[in-house]
Amino acid sequence: MSQLRTMWQIAGREIREHGRSKAFLITTALTFLLVAGLVVAPGLIGGGTTEYVVGGVGEGNEPIVAAAELLGNASDEPDAESSVSLKLETFDDREAAEAAMELGDLDAILIDGREVVVESVGGFGDSAVLSLLQQGAASVELEAIVTESGQAAADVIDVMTSDPLETTTLSGPEAGDETRGAVAYAGLLLLYMAVLLYGNWMLSGVTEEKSNRVVEVLLSSVKPWQLLAGKISGIGLLGIGQFAGTILVAIIALRVSNVVELPTLDVATVANLIVWFILGFLLFAVMYGAAGSLVSRMEDAQNVAFPMSMIAVAGFFVSIAALSDPDGPAAVVGTFIPMTAPFVVPVRAALGAIPGWQYLLAVILTVGAIVGLVFVAGRIYAGGLLRFGTRVKLRDAWRSAGT
Amino acid sequence: MLALIDLHKRYGNVAALAGCTFQVDRGRMLGFLGPNGAGKTTAMRTIFGLVTPDSGHVTWDGEPITTDRKQRFGYMPEQRGLYPKMRAHDQLSYLGRLRGMEPRQAAASADRWLERFGLADRRLDRVEVLSHGNQQRVQLAAALVHDPDLLVLDEPFSGLDPLATETMADILGEETARGKAVVFSSHQLDLVEDICEEVAIINAGQIVVEGDVRRLKDAAPIRHLELELDGEVGDLFETLDDVRQIRSEDHGHTLIIDANTDIRGFLARAQEVGRVRHFTYTTPSLSDLFLEAVR
Repeated sequence: MSQLRTMWQIAGREIREHGRSKAFLITTALTFLLVAGLVVAPGLIGGGTTEYVVGGVGEGNEPIVAAAELLGNASDEPDAESSVSLKLETFDDREAAEAAMELGDLDAILIDGREVVVESVGGFGDSAVLSLLQQGAASVELEAIVTESGQAAADVIDVMTSDPLETTTLSGPEAGDETRGAVAYAGLLLLYMAVLLYGNWMLSGVTEEKSNRVVEVLLSSVKPWQLLAGKISGIGLLGIGQFAGTILVAIIALRVSNVVELPTLDVATVANLIVWFILGFLLFAVMYGAAGSLVSRMEDAQNVAFPMSMIAVAGFFVSIAALSDPDGPAAVVGTFIPMTAPFVVPVRAALGAIPGWQYLLAVILTVGAIVGLVFVAGRIYAGGLLRFGTRVKLRDAWRSAGT
Repeated sequence: MLALIDLHKRYGNVAALAGCTFQVDRGRMLGFLGPNGAGKTTAMRTIFGLVTPDSGHVTWDGEPITTDRKQRFGYMPEQRGLYPKMRAHDQLSYLGRLRGMEPRQAAASADRWLERFGLADRRLDRVEVLSHGNQQRVQLAAALVHDPDLLVLDEPFSGLDPLATETMADILGEETARGKAVVFSSHQLDLVEDICEEVAIINAGQIVVEGDVRRLKDAAPIRHLELELDGEVGDLFETLDDVRQIRSEDHGHTLIIDANTDIRGFLARAQEVGRVRHFTYTTPSLSDLFLEAVR
């Protein structure tokens, strides 16, 4: 029988058994719900009208509040529910208004159209109403000036609330750097989560086979590398499936809720993400698999996995740095270290900040590292699998497989 | 034919195997005996390449054992191991496919073995919910599912009740009769004596006794003597040249003596001491051989 077929048998078992386990089904369902919720929720919460109550003392407050409300709703879609409503409540004197504010009935107080009182300037809601009132006051003042020069007030408001300059980008109508950066960032987050999540599947899958000793039966008919490669392929495919499903759910939720415009992506950006997603996953899966073969008990598994998780965290932070400074030394160094490259390179590439030769070299180095690691990990795996009990030292595993 | 040829393996200062040589033909069943830590498990693992010997080699029909060849072998390790969360039938059928069977063939064979072990109604149960004895049956089925040419079983009888022991022995006998080569290790010497034509005894990594059980017993330099005697033995036993072992209980005495002893003379002397109520003189039991060999 061909050795690859054996590998696929192993991969198939991983997919079937993992795929129908309760743990997998529940986490998948929860992830889908969570993602859909995260996408839809801001739309639901953000929708509707935010109401502010403004206390008015003296004269000249109405036009300011009216203008502020108009400005606050200027960017609303036509026919949509207005997003801001400002209500004016008149008070006899300043003290009465301030007392009402202390009770929390008022968001701001306008005095004679010249002074505005808010509780504090740091607060989130306060600054929103404050800036609306300031803009409203400015437009009322402007209106007074232009009315004297005979122009319609509404025109002024129109001019103030629209973009006077037409925007064109050199790269044409495709996604700009900003969207590509955002996509790279999202891809980075996904990769980071995938590495940790599926790496841990690898780890526990390998340790499980060791802890329940089924590995000796398996190794009596298959080779360690087939077992390792089969597990990586199976868990990898299942993981990619789960991930693709999650992303699909997110996209559908985005479409349905219409919260954010979906960025249009060019093929290169997507290909870039997929290539590095696979490279990153393989690299870490091989390492996690080798680590799992060193311990016989689940309790010990997390300890041997700790260095790997640290590497992933480090890679993540380097690439966050690369997002803000894609040509900086951290980004360049991270490009050439295979453990961090899967995090750093896609970010730099998405931002268009990586020379072709660096990209190519990074791919070569990472693929080389994966091949090398498969050899090293395969040997550690072979040496570690049949040594039960205490945690196997790396050196001992290496040696015992060699003899 | 399986042959282990002059295997040596050291772990640090411990010699696990120190010149281990034995062979098993198709259609023969070999009991592989030895005290704890003598190297039984290590020797069995070398057959599957799970342990690589420092020197020596293992062959099947005179050829080195390849991966394809190994897929025609069945193994039941001492440390039992199956996927606890996998259904019994899925597990067996998976192991069948892993060793080269077509999916349909593997599934049919899995069902056949479950039925043979009386587990047909448990086929969809996860292994972890089965009793210890039933898990052991599934484990044996896992070694048999792909109809291997060679069966290597490490302590297949340990932990089995008498009924399960009988079933297991029956199945091993059937498989041997069907032309498989069977090797199993055990500490139950009486059982091995009952069901095996051949034994190999390993001590400190070396095979010290090997061959056909009956011939070994005949050729043994010792005999088993049981004597029940009225009256005091006195210095009766001291007249024997080479007594290996004496066990006495009231009037009954069990002795392991040299095969060349003049037994008629001894019986005559015993009758002078008192009335001989019981006297048997036989070839040694496998237990006697074993103790003699590893002492």
